[in-house]
Amino acid sequence: MSNKPGAPKGAAKVRAKEQRAAELRAEAERKRRAENLKRGAIVGGLLVLVVVAAIFISSRSGEDLVASDVGSSDYGLVVGEPGAPREVVIYEDFLCPICGVLEEGAGEGLAAAAAAGTVVVDYRPIAILNRFGPYSTDSLNAFLVVQQEAGDEVAKEFHDLLFADQPSEDGPFPDDDWLVEKAVEAGAEEAAVRPGIEGGSRMADVEAATQEAEDAGVQGTPTVVLDGEAFRDGKSWDEIAENLLEEVS
Amino acid sequence: MAHPLSALRRGSAPGWLGLGARLVVGGVMIAAGLIKLPDPAASIEAVRAFELVPASLVEPIGYLLPPLEVVVGLALVVGLMTRGAAVISAVLLVAFTIGIASAWARGLEIDCGCFGDGGADPDAASQYPWEIARDVGLLALSVFLVRLRSSRLALDSLLFRPPVAPVPTAALDDLNEGSLP
Repeated sequence: MSNKPGAPKGAAKVRAKEQRAAELRAEAERKRRAENLKRGAIVGGLLVLVVVAAIFISSRSGEDLVASDVGSSDYGLVVGEPGAPREVVIYEDFLCPICGVLEEGAGEGLAAAAAAGTVVVDYRPIAILNRFGPYSTDSLNAFLVVQQEAGDEVAKEFHDLLFADQPSEDGPFPDDDWLVEKAVEAGAEEAAVRPGIEGGSRMADVEAATQEAEDAGVQGTPTVVLDGEAFRDGKSWDEIAENLLEEVS
Repeated sequence: MAHPLSALRRGSAPGWLGLGARLVVGGVMIAAGLIKLPDPAASIEAVRAFELVPASLVEPIGYLLPPLEVVVGLALVVGLMTRGAAVISAVLLVAFTIGIASAWARGLEIDCGCFGDGGADPDAASQYPWEIARDVGLLALSVFLVRLRSSRLALDSLLFRPPVAPVPTAALDDLNEGSLP
């Protein structure tokens, strides 16, 4: 062997190199697998984190709205006969644009269904959009004044008029005179409602009504409660309004 | 000779640009998610306002999107699974861009709800071009991160070897090019 250098020695060298190469490849493959495992664990962990967080959030914002029986609030406006087969409670803000969409889509239909006796609706206006200006609060005060001075029927008409002529969230906001004008148009006597509207005589109740809704679990407007459960079935509020009418008609 | 050069190349400008892109996209994602987290009802209504998602998916998406944005944003900022996170942020940004463009095309006047709020916005039409430009810009940065493979100061480089494994291949190269007759 030793006196024949060349081929055999070279062959051994090649074999050794091949073996080293194979070891390196195996080592690389092992590392690759370990890293893929690590990647999988990290990705899985992050996915679980997202899903668990989402489930946690959704469970905390639970669907159960307490104290939402028709007629159970001192600040509501009940339309229809108590004891009707379906009960609807609607929390809304006179400034909230989606509430305007809901009213446009379902307002008349609900009134008709209430008149037909298939549903009783408890409108609960609240004021949660004060960050845009005073209209949210002023309009609710005016509503409560009208209801107190002129009764539920006129108040419902006033409510409908306010939504039909709703200002934008960005203003300009109508003044007290405008609110008085709408109240008179709805059927109230100007002398009866003007002092309360201008003086903000129901402001304490505005706060109480809004607080009551928050305590009941209302997180935004509009919140529609059908037979005690939040109703949000639709890909748009037009569709929710349609579906709601279908449910109660 | 091969690896000192490639090591230099890895550490040069694109790596730092990648870090910058991670911080920008990740920072925006975290901000957008954190603002939405405390108000799931608004998040749901923001999704619904686009009128693109089937009714049954509105709420799941409204609940999932904020934590997903936060987690993807955090992953980008610390550089954990950077390319995967960048793929997700790119997919989200494509979806957001389509949503805004489609709302614009349909004449919907909505706040995109990108950073909370959402719902109707009378001034929306003037916002759409800028919102789309912002999302396309972030999308470009995300795509850049997917293609870059690795960037500076990333957790990935502590946890994993560099994407182009220099040691084994270089060693194999040496073997192949070595002293064989």
